[in-house]
Parts: sequence; C-alpha cells; structure tokens
Amino acid sequence: MAKAFLIDVARCNGCHNCQIACKDEHCGHAWLPYAQAQPEIGQFWMKVNEKERGQVPVVRVSYMPTLCAHCAGAPCAAACPSGAFQRRDDGLLLIDPETCTGCGSCVEACPIGAVYFNDELGIAQKCTGCAHLLDDGWKVPRCVDSCATGALQFGEEAELDLDGAVTLPGLEGAGARAYYRNLPKRFVAGCVYDADANDVLIGATVELLDAVGAVVAQVETDEFGDWEFDQIEPGAYTVVVRAEGYPEARVAADVTEKDLFTGDLGVRKA
Amino acid sequence: MRTKDKTVNKSLAWLGSGGGSNAAHVDVMDGEIVRIRPIHFDECYTPEELNAWRFEKDGHVFEAGDKTFLPPLSLAYKRRATSPNRIPYPLIRVDWDPNGNRNPQNRGASKYRRISWDEATDIIAAEIMRIHDTYGPRSIYCEGDGHGEGNCYAGGHGCMINLFHMADGCTLQARQPDSWEGWVWGAKHVWGMEPVGSSTSQVNAFHDITQNGDAILFWGCDPETAPWGWGGQQPSRLCYWFSEIGIKSIYVCPDVNYGAAVHADKWIPVLPNTDSALQLAIAYTWISEGTYEEEFLKTHAVGFDVFRDYVMGVTDGVPKSPEWASPKCGVPIYKIKALARYWAKHAVSIAHCNGGSYIRSAFSHEPARLEVVLLAMQGLDKPGAHQATFTDMGVMGESCNPLPPSKVTANQRACYHGWAYNVGDSFIIKTLLPDAIISDKVDWYSLGVFLAPRETQFQPFEYPRPGEAGIKMIWSDAPCWSTCWNCGGRDQDALRSENLEFVLVQHPWFENDCKFADIILPITTTFECDDFGTDNNNGQYSMFYYEKQAIEPVGEARTDYEAVLSVFRKLDKPGSPYEGVVEKYTQGMGYEGWMRRAWETSGVTQTDKYGSFKELFESDDKFWMGPTLENWEDRKTPLELFCENPEMFPLNTPTGKLEIYSQELADHFPDDDIRGPFPKWIEESDEHKERYTSERAKLYPFLMVSNHPHWRVHAQHDDLPWLREIETCKVKGPDGYAYEPLWIHPRDAEKLGVKNGDVAKIFNERGAVLGGVRVTERIMPGVVYQDHGARVDSIVPGYGGLDRGGANNLICPSAVTSPNCAGEVTSSFLVGVEKVDVFELAKRYPEAFGRTFDPAAGQVASDFIVEGE
Repeated sequence: MAKAFLIDVARCNGCHNCQIACKDEHCGHAWLPYAQAQPEIGQFWMKVNEKERGQVPVVRVSYMPTLCAHCAGAPCAAACPSGAFQRRDDGLLLIDPETCTGCGSCVEACPIGAVYFNDELGIAQKCTGCAHLLDDGWKVPRCVDSCATGALQFGEEAELDLDGAVTLPGLEGAGARAYYRNLPKRFVAGCVYDADANDVLIGATVELLDAVGAVVAQVETDEFGDWEFDQIEPGAYTVVVRAEGYPEARVAADVTEKDLFTGDLGVRKA
Repeated sequence: MRTKDKTVNKSLAWLGSGGGSNAAHVDVMDGEIVRIRPIHFDECYTPEELNAWRFEKDGHVFEAGDKTFLPPLSLAYKRRATSPNRIPYPLIRVDWDPNGNRNPQNRGASKYRRISWDEATDIIAAEIMRIHDTYGPRSIYCEGDGHGEGNCYAGGHGCMINLFHMADGCTLQARQPDSWEGWVWGAKHVWGMEPVGSSTSQVNAFHDITQNGDAILFWGCDPETAPWGWGGQQPSRLCYWFSEIGIKSIYVCPDVNYGAAVHADKWIPVLPNTDSALQLAIAYTWISEGTYEEEFLKTHAVGFDVFRDYVMGVTDGVPKSPEWASPKCGVPIYKIKALARYWAKHAVSIAHCNGGSYIRSAFSHEPARLEVVLLAMQGLDKPGAHQATFTDMGVMGESCNPLPPSKVTANQRACYHGWAYNVGDSFIIKTLLPDAIISDKVDWYSLGVFLAPRETQFQPFEYPRPGEAGIKMIWSDAPCWSTCWNCGGRDQDALRSENLEFVLVQHPWFENDCKFADIILPITTTFECDDFGTDNNNGQYSMFYYEKQAIEPVGEARTDYEAVLSVFRKLDKPGSPYEGVVEKYTQGMGYEGWMRRAWETSGVTQTDKYGSFKELFESDDKFWMGPTLENWEDRKTPLELFCENPEMFPLNTPTGKLEIYSQELADHFPDDDIRGPFPKWIEESDEHKERYTSERAKLYPFLMVSNHPHWRVHAQHDDLPWLREIETCKVKGPDGYAYEPLWIHPRDAEKLGVKNGDVAKIFNERGAVLGGVRVTERIMPGVVYQDHGARVDSIVPGYGGLDRGGANNLICPSAVTSPNCAGEVTSSFLVGVEKVDVFELAKRYPEAFGRTFDPAAGQVASDFIVEGE
C-alpha cells in the first residue's frame, strides 16, 4: 500500500490555500525528525503554478498545484550519495534532515523541481506528506485538508479513482504518486458574424483540420456566434467555417506554442 | 509526537461590526499558533443532526459541505499577529506637544517615541476634556466603522462612539453605503429593496437557478475575490456546480477577474463605467424586436413609456441603439445584439458580490437602475432568473440568503461592544471628511449610514451647525481613509490641517493613516483576545462558538474594548460630563458575564445540542451549528409574490410598483439632470470628466479599473508574507521592492515601452502612484488595472503627490457620485501611464526610498519609531 495524491486541475480555482497551508505548517516550525522548517518565503513544498492562456476576449488561467510525487523509483533518492532518503511504510518519501549532507544532488535530479535547497540550513527539503500529522491521526496532509473545491485528494493509491489520470511530464517511469486530471492542452476559439448585417452567425459549422487536412473535430457556433475547440494537442491547424449562403472561410490556427483566439471573423453573403 | 497543545475557535474574517465568519480551528503549541485549519463539522455534528442540505440536478449533486471553506486570507493570517508592522506600545509623535507647538504640518512625516499606557491615556483624557470644554463635544469626530476583524465582546470598531453617546455625544463618521453606492442612490428608487438597494429577495435563488436557469451574467462580479473576506469559498464551489450542470457563466467586465479566469464560458469585455450604454442598447434591441414583457410592465411598473421614448430616441433624437452604444462601451454591435437576444430567450440571472467597481464609479446610480429596469423588462423574477448575490449571504437578514437557511440563526449582538449604526445627533457622511476638516461647512442629503431608508435621501444635512466650531479632534480605529476612499490625497492634506488639534488612532498595525496620528494606541489581533463568534455568512450553516485567547497579547496591545475603557476610566470622574459612563458601558460584567448573556439571547438555546452555557463555554474547540430549516424548498421569494400580485405584495416604493420613472426624484430634485427621474446615459458632468471623450483624456488616455483586492480585504493583509510572494500579489521591482501589480494589455505595453517587472507610474492631476507592470491579456486594451487597498508608502504625500505603495485611491476623483448623491467614486477614472526609473527616483527622494522594508512583509513599524526616551 502506498499513499498518493490526485489533483484535478479543472477544479483548481487558484486560491493557493494548499501552498499557504503548507507554509502555515512548515515555516517557522521544525517537525523533527520528519523535517526542519521550510524557509519563510521563496520556497514551496507545495507550489501553485499558473499559466495565463488565450487572448482578449477568450482568456483563462490554468493553475497547477505542484509537489513532490513521492515517486516509487525516485530519481532524487537515487542521486543521494548519503542515504538521507527514507521510504516509509505508507510510501511517503522523506529526507532525513540529520543525514542530509547538503550536497544538492537530489535538487538537480528532480525533473519537476520539487526538491529545494535550504541555504540557511544547508540541507535539501521537500514535501513530507505531512507525515508527522498522519502519524498523529490525520487522514490527509494540510494542503488537501485546506482545499475548498475538491481539487486535491489524498489516499491509498489503490483506493483512489485513477482511471485516466496521468503523472507530470518528466516523471515518466519514475513511479510518481502525484496523479493529475485535466492537465491543460491547447484551445483555439473564434467568433463569426455577418459583417453587413452586424449579426453573429448562429449554427455555422466549424471544422478543425490538422496539418494534413484531416478533420479532427467539428462544432457549431453558439448563440453568440462563438466556437471553440478545447483540449486539443499542440500543433498547426486550419479552421474551416461553413454557413449556408456564405462562402467557406478558412483561418490558420497555430497552437504549437500557445492557445489562440483567432479573432472575430466577419463574413459576407455570397 | 506532539503537534499541538490546544485548539481554539476563531472567526478569521474581516467584515467587522461584530459579525464573524470563516470559522477556523487554531492550533496552539508552546504559546504560539502552529496552524490554522478548517473546522470539520463531524467533530460535533452528524449530517442527520444538521439536516444536511443538498441540490440535485440530472443526477448531479451539490452538497453544503462538511467543513468550513476558508480563504487563503484566513490560512495565512497568523503572520498578521507577529508582523513587523505591529504597533508594539503606545506612541506619541515626537514633534506634537499638546502644551506647545502641535506641528500639524508634520503629520505623515514625523517619527514617534514610546510612552506608557498611563501617560498616553492621561494626555488623551486631558485633550478630550479640553476640546469638549472649549469647542463642545461635536468637535470630536469618531471613525468607528469599516471593515476589520469580527471581534464582538473584544470590541470591533467604534467602541468609543458608544461611550460618547452615553455622555453628551460626539460627531460620528457615518459609514455610507460604500459597498452598494449605485444600488442605494439609484436602484432603491426603482424597486425599494431596503436596506441597500440590491435584491433582498434571495430566498432559494441558487436552488431555483439550479433547477431552471440557463445562464448567469457575472456583471462586474468576482466570486473568487469579494466573498473571501467575509464568507469564504462556498461561492467558488457554487460556480463549479453551475458549470457542472450546464449553466453558462458569462462575465461582463473590463478585466478577466479571478472568477472569470476559471469559470467564464464567455467574457464580454466592456469599458469601465460604460455599462449604462450597453444596458440601454440591450433595452433598445428588446423594444425594437418586441422581446420584452410588455404586459408585465403595464401591471407592475410606472413610467416605462418615458424610458422607452428616451431609449428609442423619441425625446432626444438619439436612438440608444447597439450602433450608438458600441463605440462608447467597446462591445461590438453584433455582440450586443447577441447578448440581448440570448437574454430574451433564456432564463438569465445576474450575479453580484455587492457590485464592486460597477456600482462605485461616477454616476453609479445609472447602471444600477438600468439593471433593475432590464430585469423588469424580462419579468423581474422568473423561474431561473434572479438578481443573485454571492456575498453577504447572511448579513442583511434571512430574505437575503440565496441558500438553504438554518432553522435558527445565531445572534451575537448582546455582547457586541462596537458601534451599532446609530448616528446620534451629529454626523458627517464619510466621503466629505476632507472638506469637513478644511472648509467652514459641508452639506449633503441622506442620513448617511448604509442602512438609512430611501426617504432620508431627500433630507438635507449640514456640519457644523451654526455656532459650532467644526472638527478639532479625530479618534479613529480604522485609519485608512487615504487607502479606501475617493481622492485620498485630499485626506492626507486635510489630516495635516491646523484645524485638527489632535489625531488619535488605535490600531494593531502601523499602516496607512496611522502615520498621521499624534498618539497611537496598540490593539490586539483577534488571536490575542477572548471573544464570542458567529459564522452566518458561510453559505452552509449558522455557527456559533466561543473564541478563547490563542496567544498572549503582542507587546503592550489591548483589545479595542479595553483600550477605549482605559481612556474613559480617566474621564469618568465625579462632575465630569463622562461621569458614570464606564459602569454604564461595562455593566459591571467581565468576560464570562457577557458570554452568559450572549448565550441566553443568541437563539442557540432553541436547539437541544448543548444543554447548558457551561458545556460549550468550558470547551475551547466545541461549536454550535444550526440545522437546516425543514422544507426549505417550499419558500417563496418576496419578488415572486410581487410578480403574482403587485397589489397585495407591493414593493417598498411610493407607488408599490417598479418606478422606472420616479416622481419622488422629479419632485425633490427637479434640476438634477445627472440623477434624473429615470436612468440615462451620462457622458460627463461638471464634476466628473472621466471618459475617453473628455478633454482630459488627451493628457490621461487610459481608463483605470480598481476592484476589491484579491489578496487583501481592502487595506488589510498587505503585510502577509505568504500572500505577497504569490505571482499575482506583488511585482518585485528592479530595486527589490514589492510593487502593487499594474495590469497592462500587451498592445498598450508595446506602445508604452514597458515589460513585465518594470515599474510604471499611473498619474493624473490628482497625483501619481507606482505599480509593478504585469503585461497581460486579462485586461482589455486601453484600460489598466490595479487592485485598490495597497499600503500607502508616500514619497510625496497629499493632493498631487506620489505614492510608492500603489494606493491608487489617492488619485481617485474627489467629487462624490453626483450632486445629490454623496457616494464614493473609486474606479473608472482617467490616468496616464509611464515607465519610471526607480533608481532615479531613489536619488531624488532618498528619504522615502531609504525606508526599511522587510523582504517578506514590506514596511515595518520600527522605521517610524525613534529609540530611547
């Protein structure tokens, strides 16, 4: 049995409660032998990363709580020359602050940057899963306890509903036990209107074509003339708009690097 | 291992006025707070005992929740107790000599030295007596309102007002409807809705939207910000719920606020304070296309024909068409029409968190009134269509709660020692304070306080009255005029006026207008006092609990209650006008006595969970909860009844109907063409020229939006390290200072030559404040955004000054909403923007830039205190 985190980023409102609760627990307080104190600012055993996506008027923010995944085959532990990493029976991975020599190898080894180097104490530190609280009867660590929206879950790996959940890029094959749902891919969105009548086009067919011209997806414009393809793979696409009585319109949509609002497309009757 | 010694209950919310919320468990170990965490209901209650409520729709379920949903402001709050910004002991301004030169001009610049409580209260008592005897009691002006910790027994704001009112009075600062300006000055005249003008007909609103709604317009509304400080995060869960069951979330605002960032299905960017143009064009579309409830208006409204003729251009030759509105509001013509048509076809609600910038800009009565007219045109209150609120769910009484209520709502009033909204016989409406200090007389309409009935808006008031001397002394426990009100630069000037002989402040932190005080008294945080708590604002259940002291007072801090009593004990002498007030105020009772009284009148004894006062009082962490009302689904809203039978269930207006044309306004203010008898588009007024079309826009080409702050409650929390390090909270400048973020659209940033992390100045003739640039698509082009409430850090104080902290209220318009409406105007004003070189500024202003700042917490109190005797 091993403990695992399950994080649904589609339910994360960016309140940062998890990041702050972690600091509330660990800044200014050493919970020895589990951990020394987390530095007051600048380090985050639980960190909410955010990414602004799109352009006016289709703009949203994706938040991603990021923490040590307590990997079964942890590259950080493998990199430690002094045996400071200790695996608990419940699967949580701890760095013994007494044994850690401060060589920093583990900080370099973590692919997602979840291990921090505490300059003042000269040791490596990271999420402990609030093991000191679990051992005191708590069911979940502070970050999960403070989450208001249900974006964070913690429990036995075997008991969590992990169907379709993934681990973070970079941790492939490491046996990561922080699972994610709804990791953002790309979106492309637009709006179609009749430029003469100054009315939006409702029910126009919009197709998304990939680089070789195959139709990847199809939607209809809504009552605002808007269309959107969400959670598509990064890449260069073409959007084809068809409405009865109007000539077909094509718009290039390159979402290789970023999400895209293609603009309000004014069309005129054929 | 030992992870705590004890746990106490605390309300970690900042509504003030005795009302708590954000009920938390605070764990204490070795005399320090070790953690702040949600309260889990199952520690004291089963779901059956709570009669736990839930919504169901198409197989989906929304549950009330089994713990309190604290905001980050609560979780980070323990550092507020130990902030380097705490006032450690009583302070006196070094160059203020009550028996000699008072140097009022140096307020805001001079430092302070330590004095004892005994010395401080001696001086304060002597000053009060001197001013009382020389000028009369009404020359003592008390500010005891505004937001703050929800302390109850331990004080809350305005304890001194109660004591003065028990003697021969003082002059009160009337806390006007600052959260509801537009609704109060405008909407009330259309549909009543006492006390604050936004819908008080909320019963079951969210359940009905769940069952019957198609879309919610979040009009200038940020459900991920405004509710945090006094209700927590239930609104966030509700937003996810509405999305889950397919109800569209449409945000209408100039910015992608924090709610829009995660919940919006659509964002319709509208230029600041041009909502009226958009609303009129929607009305025009409905009238043109015959898609409004004409019959309903005939039976339920008066004066629609006058409005219709205005909209269609019959009266002034200008049809308020989408073509007319689009250049004003920045929304394309086809989008205005699409929105109007969607709205007419579907069950559409409008959500607010009181209103924010949308109803706090110039002429704010107009968008507020127009919203009610639009709701009326669609039948006002239909299945799934309401004006719904995400804040103040329990503050304004049961009919204002949009969620299932508890059978009993716990009441804390019996032990509340703060100001209780009574204005006494002398008051000044808050927006006029600087004028009241520096000029001979101010006058205004309305009883001032936010709960004042509509009729008082026709009553004229003035200060001082003939023969009175005006304000000579100020006593404040919420010193943030310059951070929270219109044109704070004028507040800073007024506070340095020689008319003010004595400025007394009591506060936990050395911030904002504290720096203009002559004497400062240190106050505890809520962690340091024993108190009584309720949480009726969480959108879950009514809660009540005792709040035991978590930690010892920091430094020489006393509670507001104790601090005020320390002064009045010195005044309460035989023959003095204050004789007997201490006994009258304390009623000779201590903590346990007040708690027992509060228990008896709280209403909680109506349920049988706790059999005796002692059972709950002797526990540190037990709490009481109100089970959900049985059959809550069956209740009707007041508006539903009005819609069914307007004669039997009239609105609180003179005619009992929707007054789209208000005869009362026409009769009382026949010459007012800014707030006329019916709502219109106001381009500009003599006092407010804040449009792109205004001549001033040549100098100040951007419109500025300033919402309620995301990482603060107004001026509170700005020193919290774990908030300040969050990406959207502060921007680290090249000099290492944490600047208040300034959002600029990439297109504008390019024109201005600024990039992320630069420091820019936003300015107009009223002054300038600095901001840390965030180039972002979260703001529409031509508009810049900065939260309000950042801590003042003056480089040059006063009107025309310069502020490093980014307290943009300093440069807000100074005039009130409109000539007969003394509301604040704190958003949607013109500014110029330019990049600054902070190192150049530091050379020019070495003193201001040389101040100490803590890398984690920012400004520090010690920087303003001189050592030694």
